[in-house]
Amino acid sequence: MTALDDGVRIIDAGKPPARFARGWHCLGLTDDFKDGKPHEIEAFGTKLVVFQGTDDGQLHVLNAYCPHMGGNLAHGTVKGDAVACPFHDWRWSGNGRCAGIPYARRVPPRARTRAWLTLERNKQLFVWNDPEGNPPPAEVTIPEIEGIHGPDAGEWSEWTWKTLRVEGSNCREIVDNVVDMAHFFYVHYAFPEYFKNVFEGHIATQYMESSPRGDMDLGTLSSGRLRSDASYYGPSYMIDYLYSEVGGGIDGDVEGGSGSGSEGGSEMEIVLINCHYPIDENSFQLQYGAIVKKLPGMTDEQAAEAARLTAEGATAGFEQDVEIWKNKTRIDNPLLTEEDGPVYQLRRWYEQFYVDAADVKDEMTRRFEFEIDTERANKAWRSEVEENLASRAEQTGTGA
Amino acid sequence: MQPVECATCGNQVLCEKFSRAHTSVQWTAEAAVVCTEFRARVTAGATSARIRTCRALRRSIDDAVENGTLEITDV
Ligand code: FES
Ligand SMILES: [Fe+2]
Repeated sequence: MTALDDGVRIIDAGKPPARFARGWHCLGLTDDFKDGKPHEIEAFGTKLVVFQGTDDGQLHVLNAYCPHMGGNLAHGTVKGDAVACPFHDWRWSGNGRCAGIPYARRVPPRARTRAWLTLERNKQLFVWNDPEGNPPPAEVTIPEIEGIHGPDAGEWSEWTWKTLRVEGSNCREIVDNVVDMAHFFYVHYAFPEYFKNVFEGHIATQYMESSPRGDMDLGTLSSGRLRSDASYYGPSYMIDYLYSEVGGGIDGDVEGGSGSGSEGGSEMEIVLINCHYPIDENSFQLQYGAIVKKLPGMTDEQAAEAARLTAEGATAGFEQDVEIWKNKTRIDNPLLTEEDGPVYQLRRWYEQFYVDAADVKDEMTRRFEFEIDTERANKAWRSEVEENLASRAEQTGTGA
Repeated sequence: MQPVECATCGNQVLCEKFSRAHTSVQWTAEAAVVCTEFRARVTAGATSARIRTCRALRRSIDDAVENGTLEITDV
């Protein structure tokens, strides 16, 4: 190292963990798996098959590769409550036992494949991953969303659902977003005016209040203020309760500038899911979707449309994240300012899912709160946006 | 981080203030066990992790800043 390099900050890229996080992972909407066909899921460094038993109606998840000769069950067919391998028709039931081999006199004594523990909740299918092979502790579960399971579920739209495959990044990148206040301005074109994190147990929360940058138009969602209360329940499933200020129309129209005219202070309630499962240590499947509560006078179609627009807004946002991830390096030693969120404490929390249950330390799960002073940052950002607007107005030559 | 004691329940946490608006709080024990406000809300069905803050503790932190026992590190 030369003298010129003295004091230069060296990035420690580290390496992605050798195992996959312990926890419930959402694989998708249950309805999408209930079509009588086996479905292939690339996850946890292998392939899984999801199928619905014809008689029991249950969704089952097995390792996709058949223990006989390695055939791929996801390319087979559902026969009764079993999935039949396309290679030699061995039948595998939802509990992992071989249910029959049509051409053989008897089933070998230890003919069992891996059956994954499943959970159907919020009209979504989850599998439990634990490298140690233990069942989930009682307190680690996926909460029921009121808009799906509550008494007023009828007032909510159906899920819109989207997936995005992210290559070349470990899923820690998306979890980092929980604390990343400043990227909401640069990557998601919003002023994050209030920002607080709380980590406790297996839950990590981000409270944020934001308003859109006037100089950028994403063409989606509302043009007003947004309150967001978002928690990861475990390593990969985030429920984001969004309260969006809606101006005049409820059809999602976005005015270009600052449509300050409309006073009509109604608020739209949205639940946005942001979840993922690891494909391998260097890629993951991002999934997200929204439901929207019908505002008074809103038809089913309008609510569906609002949910569609929300998901579309999320798409735009995630695509911008992906663009950053694709080109960035993994970094284990980020260099932070006081206006950055608690990245190290978040990663300390996240670490609990990657160690044996017996090695989870108090410091990973003890309650930690961090409220950022957003004032200084927003002042700088406001003036940046004003400058952008001013120079744009100059270019378009206002006043002939 | 500096210790701050909640005037209501005696729970001790570690705090850091970069500025008036910034607050970092590291709890040193199970919140739902040591904090009266959390205990009451958790008993009523709330999830501890989903409670944004303890108001009594918040007041104690503000007081500690006021009377100088908790320094703002901002210069
Ligand atoms: S490999 Fe599956 S039945 Fe032979
Ligand atoms: Fe992001």
